[in-house]
Amino acid sequence: MLKKTAINKATELAAALMEKGTLIAPVKEDAGFNFREISDAKQVDLNFHNTIISPKSAFFPQTEDFVRYQTGKSILEATPVELNIKPAFLFGVRPCDVKSFEIMDIHFSGTGLVDPYWQKRREATTVFGYAFDLDKPAEAEEFYQTLGIGAADPEGSDIFMVKKDNDLLMKAITPRGEKLLTGLNIPSEASADDEKYFDDTVAAGRNFKTRSTCVDARATAKKFEDLFHNTDFWEKMSHACLSCGACTFVCPTCYCFDICDETLFSRGTRRRVWDACMFTDFTLEASGHNPRTKVYQRLRQKVCHKYSYHVRKYGVISCVGCGRCTRYCPVNIDIFSIVEEAVKA
Amino acid sequence: MAISFKQIEDKLKTEAKGLLETGKVSLVLAYGKGYDEKHPMPYVARRPSDADNIVFNEFCTHNMARYMVRYPAGTKMAVAVKAADSRAVIQLIQEEKVKREDLVLLGIPAYGMKNPKTGETIDSKTTCGLYNPVLYDVLLGEEVHGQPVVSPYDVLAQYEAMDKEARFAFWKKELDKCIRCYACRKACPMCYCDPCFIDQNKPKWGEKSPESAGNLMYHLTRFHHLAGRCIDCGECSRACPVNIPLYLFHKKVAKDCEDMFGQAAGMSVEDKPVLVNFRVDDSDKILE
Repeated sequence: MLKKTAINKATELAAALMEKGTLIAPVKEDAGFNFREISDAKQVDLNFHNTIISPKSAFFPQTEDFVRYQTGKSILEATPVELNIKPAFLFGVRPCDVKSFEIMDIHFSGTGLVDPYWQKRREATTVFGYAFDLDKPAEAEEFYQTLGIGAADPEGSDIFMVKKDNDLLMKAITPRGEKLLTGLNIPSEASADDEKYFDDTVAAGRNFKTRSTCVDARATAKKFEDLFHNTDFWEKMSHACLSCGACTFVCPTCYCFDICDETLFSRGTRRRVWDACMFTDFTLEASGHNPRTKVYQRLRQKVCHKYSYHVRKYGVISCVGCGRCTRYCPVNIDIFSIVEEAVKA
Repeated sequence: MAISFKQIEDKLKTEAKGLLETGKVSLVLAYGKGYDEKHPMPYVARRPSDADNIVFNEFCTHNMARYMVRYPAGTKMAVAVKAADSRAVIQLIQEEKVKREDLVLLGIPAYGMKNPKTGETIDSKTTCGLYNPVLYDVLLGEEVHGQPVVSPYDVLAQYEAMDKEARFAFWKKELDKCIRCYACRKACPMCYCDPCFIDQNKPKWGEKSPESAGNLMYHLTRFHHLAGRCIDCGECSRACPVNIPLYLFHKKVAKDCEDMFGQAAGMSVEDKPVLVNFRVDDSDKILE
């Protein structure tokens, strides 16, 4: 089913979704766009290229409370935090970011060890994918096509949206999307012309160029394995790296977290918080030993995890080419340039 | 007179090559190619042939003084320094993190530098606003004269007009945006504490999660730890992925410090760090 609505009616669409559940959509903020839970339908702004922080936070928030307790009291009095999950709509996700959910599913539910926080939110959420604007060239930082992801791939979305002039074409991709779209009375039926436009955009998206070099996952993974002990190579790649966590915090496929107890006066919370392999204390052991004291070791871990270990273990590169890590790196380190250098080395 | 970035780049290459060839230094901290022209990267040249990879253009904003403390004490190195960067070197000499005799400073006089993320021209609003390096061994170009001299503290007018409550509300709103990636502290040439207080867990000084209490603890402590030490290069604010105007707080503290003790950070190797030095005629205003 394909429906159509004017883009300037997106507010009405947002309001309709808010009646059915929680709406998470792009919002314009000081520094750029971010996915936020919407409290006023007018906040939804589709005039964005992509968000600063990836939409992974909709399923895997930076902070997640597990247990609340009082210091000085028995552990038996501690109370688990109820997971209160309502139907949610994640609106306006770019195709590369939709792909990231599939990669994250491997870690949070696919290996048999199920993370209920991720899984329950995933089950309760309808994903509205949104094609990149094909009239504008891809940004220099992006390389999703290079990794085999099209600029308008509908796979993975429940409903996929394509912008056509001043209209938004919405197509149901999954039965869940079909059911929702049928029940939404705002979008009007699309014409045969619109159908063709939608299909053409999806096809054009597959050929929408990002970077020139293409990456063979297995060969790249092997190359990085061979380069592991090449300290010269890694030192060269990392001499600009500040070892901050900007790249991992904006990344859609970084999933490392720390579990810590945080107390304010006597009220404590055991929670998980995003962590980053780029931080000095990430691998600090209780004994005081730290197996990764050098910047190059940490950068090597980040790159090899995504492009080598992940491929060996799960068969796919753990990167979707969204370009966020490059865009927000304070010293302009570009992960894809490292991959290119490795292939050449 | 416009700055010839190409000329600076050529001189930087020549100097770097010469210094590495003669063995006077074992490394040169400068700038190299990034993924495109607008995004050059900090670069370390170790061999004379590496000098050919050095670039310099208006997007080379990074403060290379940040990388000096990464190398073992006594490493002979050359550092490309713009105005604020040279002040960072001076401050690090004062704090005995590096020795003057181990350094060859390649001074870069420049204005019209651009933020690679936004394309905006960088001026005294977010930096110290100086054009010429304060300390150098070789100047790669001509000293800049005739550019408007603007106080780095002019930008504070609006902030200083706020009362205490308004200032607290301002910072609470800004710091609530923080995602605790620590890009600010990692980009800062003066943030070399190992470990940083916020990474300690025994005792734990602040929470790890990006919420008001921990964010305030982290940033307010960092702001004050940089009192009399921040040289106003603006790197923290440019590094921030969520655009927190960190420079405002640093400038306010720097201005107060200058008012009270008559000394700006990193202006002379002869100075002692202002909060380390005690003079009988020091201002007592800090206690009021």
